[in-house]
Amino acid sequence: MMKTLSVRAQNYVDHFEAALERLPGLKDRNIKALRKSGIERFAARDFPTRKIEEWRYTNLTQFVKMAANTAANEDTAALPALTPQAFDAKWEMVFVDGIFAADQSRLEDLPNGLSISSLASELGNGAVFSLNDEEDRALVTLNTAFMRDGFCLHVSENTQIDDVLAITFRNTASNDGRHIRNRIILDTDAQLTVLERHEGTGTYFVNPVTQVSLADGARLDHYKLQNDSIAACHLAITDVDIAGKAIYKNFTLSVGAKLSRNELKTVILGADAQSHLDGAYLMRGEQHCDTTTLTEHKVPQNISKQTYKGVLDDKAHGVFQGKIHIFKDAQQVAGDQLSKALLLSDFAAVDCKPELEIHADDVKCSHGATTGELDEDALFYLQARGIPYESARLLLIEAFMGDVLEHIDNEQVRSYFSTQAAAWLSGK
Amino acid sequence: MLEIKNLHATVGGKKILKGINLTINPGEIHAVMGPNGAGKSTLSYVLSGRSGYDVTSGSVTYQGQNLLDMTPDVRASSGIFLAFQYPVEIPGVASATFLKTALNAQRRFRGEEELDAIQFLKLVRSKTKELGIKDDMLKRPVNVGFSGGEKKRNEVLQMALLEPTLMLLDETDSGLDIDALKVAADGVNRLRSPERSALIITHYQRLLDYIVPDFVHVLADGKIVKSGDKSLALELEEKGYADICAA
Repeated sequence: MMKTLSVRAQNYVDHFEAALERLPGLKDRNIKALRKSGIERFAARDFPTRKIEEWRYTNLTQFVKMAANTAANEDTAALPALTPQAFDAKWEMVFVDGIFAADQSRLEDLPNGLSISSLASELGNGAVFSLNDEEDRALVTLNTAFMRDGFCLHVSENTQIDDVLAITFRNTASNDGRHIRNRIILDTDAQLTVLERHEGTGTYFVNPVTQVSLADGARLDHYKLQNDSIAACHLAITDVDIAGKAIYKNFTLSVGAKLSRNELKTVILGADAQSHLDGAYLMRGEQHCDTTTLTEHKVPQNISKQTYKGVLDDKAHGVFQGKIHIFKDAQQVAGDQLSKALLLSDFAAVDCKPELEIHADDVKCSHGATTGELDEDALFYLQARGIPYESARLLLIEAFMGDVLEHIDNEQVRSYFSTQAAAWLSGK
Repeated sequence: MLEIKNLHATVGGKKILKGINLTINPGEIHAVMGPNGAGKSTLSYVLSGRSGYDVTSGSVTYQGQNLLDMTPDVRASSGIFLAFQYPVEIPGVASATFLKTALNAQRRFRGEEELDAIQFLKLVRSKTKELGIKDDMLKRPVNVGFSGGEKKRNEVLQMALLEPTLMLLDETDSGLDIDALKVAADGVNRLRSPERSALIITHYQRLLDYIVPDFVHVLADGKIVKSGDKSLALELEEKGYADICAA
């Protein structure tokens, strides 16, 4: 008997054949087969429900009730999103509604060793993309079926790029999903700094899947600002393979979307490799933001660190699930994880699930999670020095956020994210 | 300057202050001494406007205005400074940022021009130099990892910078060694002037060796039971509170 799918999932399945004709890579048999395999696997799974352990705290029920290309619920568009702030990048790749907009992008004077292209052009070129046979994440299979565009970055051996490459996704209201597929490949000892920004207006669904491969000694500073429309649904997955001595640093600042999930998976495959996953989420109204991380230490002698901080006001809901998985024989590994949330309202809530799965015996791991309110003693202390209540409150929230922003190594990005955080605090 | 009349206050529904009368004129230094639980800290919190300290009757007039109507920041900007018994640690806020924010908030309140970063640094450095405080303290988060003495020095620095009209010292001597005590006393003495007053709340007499009060009051069970000049403090030291409070 056929499984009964959710309205939205069934809609994707029903429209797949027709969509196939419009998606890039049409003439490439491999791509076509890949997409078919994606939709078949998606059809066998449907969107995740809370019955799946990894999705226990994020409820997609409302989201999957509606078909993707029927009129979406516009009521949720009541709150305005943060005004996007300018970022002065040397190079910028712009995507409008999920499609590369060459006319709005600035990609002149690229240094030797850095190649930038759009996925749509790569798919047409017969580039080989594969779907892992064991892939069981519904959102990845859906993305594979419908992937349309995205960024493909390649930095060749020994090329170190200091300037920030900005990649901006601008979205407008739409009933179609934006199935963005990105690929970043850094060869041996290559270095790159990427700032990914997501912004938009109205109701839409974005499902970016990003695959990153870092060769020996490579370093990627990967920054992401999720400032999607307050009515949007943003479900992102980033998978990263880290070879020996390579460093992956991710910092995600989430302020937008009605419903968002940022899922990060780093797989450490070499000695002296580092995985740093940090971030901050600032939510109000009825926003929901889920951060789910998985770090796998597959070999000995490497480290992973995670620090996440959340500020939740009104009826906002935060989720942090972080898992460190240390494989058998992965000795002398250090894994640290910290999650802190600040609740500004009695109705705001956070669910936190740190998890350690350790199969080696010579490892150092720690995890900590705290949830609290503003310190009344500190508030009074500031007021007793002449600082009005509202300013004192802002100062303390900024202080709570401050040390996590210190994890951002790039000064320009750090100041940019600080400005964004300050704008959120002042409600703009 | 400050006129407290028949002040009653409760904390969590419990009656702590039971009819305090106290007048402080410009230039005067008053000491309030008393045993633990007499209501000393409650008095300082009521005067500085901490929430949870509820005035049930009586009045407090400061410079001709109803003090009890003012929010804590307005009281501070109007010149009342509470030196805390336990200064609060504020992780993530650099001392310099805190001091500048406080000073400029007060200046703004009084309609004065705010200081820019350079003017502020110049001012604060002159104060740290005067008080023998190391400048690196300014970079550290407010009171975080400070020793007891350093925290009190920081209170004194704030006081020197904000130049209050009425200084409230809540058990400033608690947990201080003699050197730190001298720094604290020195901070107050430097600010002494015919326009400025102080209310020093203390359990022990020893701080009063360094800040000589004009008047000494004994607070017991929420009331002032005895007042006198500085010799009263010595008498207390000698005989203990039991005798005086029972009298």
